[in-house]
Amino acid sequence: MQLLIGVLEQGFIYAILALGVYITFKILDFPDMSVDSTFPLGAAVTALMITKGFDPLLTLPASLLAGAVAGAITGFIHVRLHVRDLLSGIIMMTGLYSVNLRIAGTSNVPIFAHDTIFKNPMISALPKAFAPYAPVVILAVLAIIVKLVMDWYLSTRSGFLLRATGDNPTLVATLAQDSGTVKILGLSIANALVSLSGCIMCQYQRYFEISMGTGSLVLAVASVIVGTQLLRGMRFLGATTAVVIGSVLYKGCVAAALSFGLSPFDLKLVTAVLLLIIIVIGGRRKKVKRHA
Amino acid sequence: MKRIITVIAAIALIAVSALAFAEGYTIGIGQFAVHGSLDNCRTGFIEGLAEAGIVEGENLTIEYQNAQADMGITQQIAAQFAASNVDLMVGIATPMAQACYNAANGAIPTIFTAVTDPIAAGFVNADGTAAGEVTGTSDALPIEAQLATIRAMLPDAKSIGILYTTSEVNSVSAIAIYKELAPKYGFEIVESGVSTTADIPLALDALLPKVDCMSNLTDNTVVSALALVLDKANAAGKPVFGSEIEQVKLGCIAAEGLDYIALGKQTGLMAAKVLKGEAKASEIPYEIITEPGLYVNNAVLAQFGITLGDDLAARAIAVDAE
Repeated sequence: MQLLIGVLEQGFIYAILALGVYITFKILDFPDMSVDSTFPLGAAVTALMITKGFDPLLTLPASLLAGAVAGAITGFIHVRLHVRDLLSGIIMMTGLYSVNLRIAGTSNVPIFAHDTIFKNPMISALPKAFAPYAPVVILAVLAIIVKLVMDWYLSTRSGFLLRATGDNPTLVATLAQDSGTVKILGLSIANALVSLSGCIMCQYQRYFEISMGTGSLVLAVASVIVGTQLLRGMRFLGATTAVVIGSVLYKGCVAAALSFGLSPFDLKLVTAVLLLIIIVIGGRRKKVKRHA
Repeated sequence: MKRIITVIAAIALIAVSALAFAEGYTIGIGQFAVHGSLDNCRTGFIEGLAEAGIVEGENLTIEYQNAQADMGITQQIAAQFAASNVDLMVGIATPMAQACYNAANGAIPTIFTAVTDPIAAGFVNADGTAAGEVTGTSDALPIEAQLATIRAMLPDAKSIGILYTTSEVNSVSAIAIYKELAPKYGFEIVESGVSTTADIPLALDALLPKVDCMSNLTDNTVVSALALVLDKANAAGKPVFGSEIEQVKLGCIAAEGLDYIALGKQTGLMAAKVLKGEAKASEIPYEIITEPGLYVNNAVLAQFGITLGDDLAARAIAVDAE
C-alpha cells in the first residue's frame, strides 16, 4: 500500500513535468532538451527561497516564472536567432547548468530543517491517521489543477493557435498570426510547468541536487508516450489525463522493476522492456486520431 | 489491459512484502552508484554487522538496491524501503543517504556512510547534534596529512592540480579546505571543474602544464575516469596522488586516505547498536576515521624515481597494482 502511494506521489510530480513536455514534444513537435536543466531550475529557485525563509507556497509561482523565462529564451534562440530546435535546447540546457549552480549556491542544498508545502504547521495539525496520505493528496490536487488549467488553455483562442502551430503552421499564417511568437509562448508555458515540477520535487525530496534533472526529458517523453499510446482507445479521457496516468504508470514500471529483486545492473533494461510491452499493447488498439 | 497490469503489479508487491517478514532484522541498503569505494563501504558495513552478531542469512535480511547514479531512482529506492517497513535504512553516499533520511520520515532510523560533510548534507546540526533519527560515518579526507606527505615526497613542487565535478558538493568543500591549508605547506592549488566525464580530457590538457603534481579527491565522476587521468598525467611526467586505497591500486603514487572497508565496518557497528536497541540513532554522534593510512604504490614510486623518507617509509602500506 505504502509502495503504491510512493508510486502515485512521484507519478503526480512527474506528471506535471510530462504535461509540460507534452506541449513541446507532442503539440509543437519540438525536441526541447532544455528540460533537463529547467527541472532543476525550479528546484534551485525553491531551495534558495526556502533556505532564505520565504513561505513555501511562494516557491510555486516563483519557479513557474523562472521556467517561463527560460523557456522563452529557448524559443527566442530558436525562432529569432534561427538556431535549430535541438541545438537551441542544448544551448539552453548547457548554460542553465551554471545558472542553477549560481542560484542554489552549491550543488546540493538540504532543506530538511525547513517548512515545505508537505511539511508545515498546517499539515502537522491534521489528524494522525490522515498525515501519511497528505502528500499524495496535495500532489494529486496539484497535478489535477495543472491538468485542468491546461485543458482550459488549450480550448482558448491562444491554445488553438498553439495546437495549429505544431500541426499546420500555414494555417496560423493565414490567420495573420506569427507562428514564431506562438512557439515562444508554447515553450515558455511548457518550461514553466517543468520548472514547477522541479520545485515540487525539491520540496518532496527535501533537498536540491544539481544532477536531479539528468534524464528528465527521457522520463517525460516516456510518460507522454505510455499515456497517449496505452489510453488512445479511451477517447473520453483527454490527452492530458492520459499523460498524467502515463506518468504514474511509468513510475509503476520502475517500482515493479525494483521490486522484482533483480540485480541493480538490470534495472534500466527491465524498465525498458516493461515500457516496450505497454507501448506495443497500446499500439494494438484501434487507431484514433492523433491528438486533440 | 490496464487492470491486468495493475493485478500483476499488485502480486509483485505482495510477493516482495512477504519476503520482508523473514526472521530477524531486515535492513535496506541503498547505494548511490557502483564504484570501488562505495562497494567497499557496503562490504565493510556487512562485516561490521556480522562482528556484532547480526549475520546476513542467519538473523539478517538485506534488501540491496543501487541507484546507478540516477537521482530519480534514489527517491524510489528509499520509498520502497519505507514501504517494506525495514528496521533500518542505510544510505551510501550523500544523495542516497538524503533520500533515505527523507523517506524514513523519523519512523525508521537511517545510517549514512561515505558522506563527506554531514552538516552540509543536513543530517547533523551545526552544533553537532543529530538532526533526527540519523547517524553514520563521514569520509572527510585527511587533507592536512595529504599535503604534508606530498611536501615530504616532492620537496620542490610548487603547485597541485585538482580536478573535480562542479555538481559534487563533497569535492567543492574539500577544495575549499585544500586552498585554506595549502599556503601552510608552500603549495598553490590549481583546480579545474568539469560537469561530466566527457569534459575530463580537455580539462586535463589545460591543467597538467600548469601544475607539478595532481591530487585526487573522492569525486565520483573523476574517480570513474581515473585511468584516463593517470594516463595523461604519466605522459606529462606528473605524479598523481590519490585519496584512498582503491585509487592507489589503480596507479596513483600514494594516498593519505581512507580504507573504505574499515569505514564501512565502523558504520556497521553503529548500525548494530541501533538495531539491537542499545541506543537510538539520534543518540549516537556521527564518526570520522581519525587515523589516516598512508598507501603507496611501489611500482609508480620507482617509475618517478621517488624514495620515501624514513618517517613515511615506517608507516607506509604498500599496495600492489591490480
